[in-house]
Amino acid sequence: MPNYTYRGITLSIPENDSEYKGYFEAAAEGRLVVKKCSDCGLLRGEPGPGCPWCTSLNWEWQQVSGKGTIYSYQVVAHTVIPAFRDSTPFAIVLVELDEQRGQPTEFDGLRITGNLVDTDFNMEKEANVGIGKRVEVAFQPVEDGFMLPQWRLIDEPDQGFTWSHEVPEG
Amino acid sequence: MAGNPRDKYCIVGVGETEYSRASGRTTRALGAEAIRNAMNDAGLTPDQVDGMLSYHGGDSTPSTSIQYDLGIRPNFYMDCSGGGSSTEALVGLAIGAIEAGMCDVVAIFRSMNGYSNVRIGGTGARASAPIGGLDLMKRPYGLISAVQQFAYTFTRHMAEYGVKSEDLAAIKAAHSNHASNNPKALMKHRVTVDDVMNSRWIIRPVAHLLDCCLETDNATCVIVTSAERARDLKHKPIYIKGVQGRGTKPGGDFHYQHGPISRVAGHYIAPRIFDLAGVKHEDVDLTGCYDAFTYTVLLQFEDYGWCEKGEGKDYVTSGAINLGGRRPNNVSGGHLCEGYTHGMNMVIENVRQLRGTVDDYCPGATEGDHTFDYSEGGCRQVPDAKISMNMGWGTPAVGSSLIMGNVLS
Repeated sequence: MPNYTYRGITLSIPENDSEYKGYFEAAAEGRLVVKKCSDCGLLRGEPGPGCPWCTSLNWEWQQVSGKGTIYSYQVVAHTVIPAFRDSTPFAIVLVELDEQRGQPTEFDGLRITGNLVDTDFNMEKEANVGIGKRVEVAFQPVEDGFMLPQWRLIDEPDQGFTWSHEVPEG
Repeated sequence: MAGNPRDKYCIVGVGETEYSRASGRTTRALGAEAIRNAMNDAGLTPDQVDGMLSYHGGDSTPSTSIQYDLGIRPNFYMDCSGGGSSTEALVGLAIGAIEAGMCDVVAIFRSMNGYSNVRIGGTGARASAPIGGLDLMKRPYGLISAVQQFAYTFTRHMAEYGVKSEDLAAIKAAHSNHASNNPKALMKHRVTVDDVMNSRWIIRPVAHLLDCCLETDNATCVIVTSAERARDLKHKPIYIKGVQGRGTKPGGDFHYQHGPISRVAGHYIAPRIFDLAGVKHEDVDLTGCYDAFTYTVLLQFEDYGWCEKGEGKDYVTSGAINLGGRRPNNVSGGHLCEGYTHGMNMVIENVRQLRGTVDDYCPGATEGDHTFDYSEGGCRQVPDAKISMNMGWGTPAVGSSLIMGNVLS
């Protein structure tokens, strides 16, 4: 893939990027994928070269539903990245996908980072972020051939453990 | 475990430069000064130092340059990649190098212009540099700085265990009280819980500005040798009771894929270090718990077993960690107030505390004559300190630990 620019940051995804190139190629087609072990069949949240459970180096991309639950989050009040300064405060969320939750052990899950955005891909209001909120992937067009996976709240009841912080006034 | 080196090795010299935000010189100049100060502290000449270890993140000067500057000819040296939790790990590697017969006396140093040159989080132009690999999954979302790398763990812990910002602020307040009695501290003024709460937010809900450590220009050094070699040096030796280096959670960088993400590396390190050192929690007189952020302190206290999981908020607000309390923590002021060194200053402080000659404002401090009056501008010596424990933090997934004592077990 060529280089792409988003918020002034150059994203470099060379042909030999065996971890992330396939992930962003799929995202460019509006598909969220994770790696699946070709031997034991388990999915993994981080698209690394080996299976954390059976060490197999054989893998294939597998499309997932793109739905999940916010597992943890952070709200950036102060950023050191110039192109994000106009967007503060904004939420970065760690989303646990619906697939393979609590497998193979109770604390395991497929967890992916993104911003919590609204229907126009603007940053979602801070008051709306919280652990346990249901979300769905949304692909933000960046350049021709490149879309960035983001997360949007969906109208489903909170799931599992829920918590949100108190948003300061002003 | 294989051979236990308890009490066979010592820290015999410690030294540092000024902690500042404008050193006005190179990391090479800073490093040379810190090592020279540590050699002088130990009573060692350059020809008696034959090992060097350093750690850096592409922001320092190699040992081989400073060897020329100080006339040191090592039989062994290595410059390691690493930040927090490297100090304790390298103390262990120094023991290994001596035990392997590669050298006899090892100077471990860290040198950085952490404010005036290479700031840890990356700012401005650096934050906009081209990225690839793992950063593709983080930086396009605005996730870059150290506190952000840790924040998923902090937030989830806060949610699960009901930690309040006030609890975290109590850690900063305690360390600032300690720093007010440390002439070297970059930030000497005392702050209150309200001061922390009223400082501007950095990352909600886990870090106000004053929950974050001080980016600092400095170099630091500790010198390790055998107990036998230590006998004729200047100070009473501070014995290494046990050390663990870079113990890691399942998943490493991707620990948040496994979990529980509110658990940190200390959970795995604690049983090993206490067993190795032959020490129980109640034997420890003071701690050095890595305070890159107030939250790193609270998490490590829990997972090293100073309290039950979830009770860190009670431990840090109980008074135990304050001077005059049961087990003062980061008596120099630590990273939050003395200065950010990637962990070495907390080991240096504990060596001086165990010697009984910590450099506070007491007129007779260097002779070990302390008032134990902990009011501002006074004493910071822990009375009759015999055992200390350092808990270094690399990430939620990575940590190191060092237990030292001033008497043989």
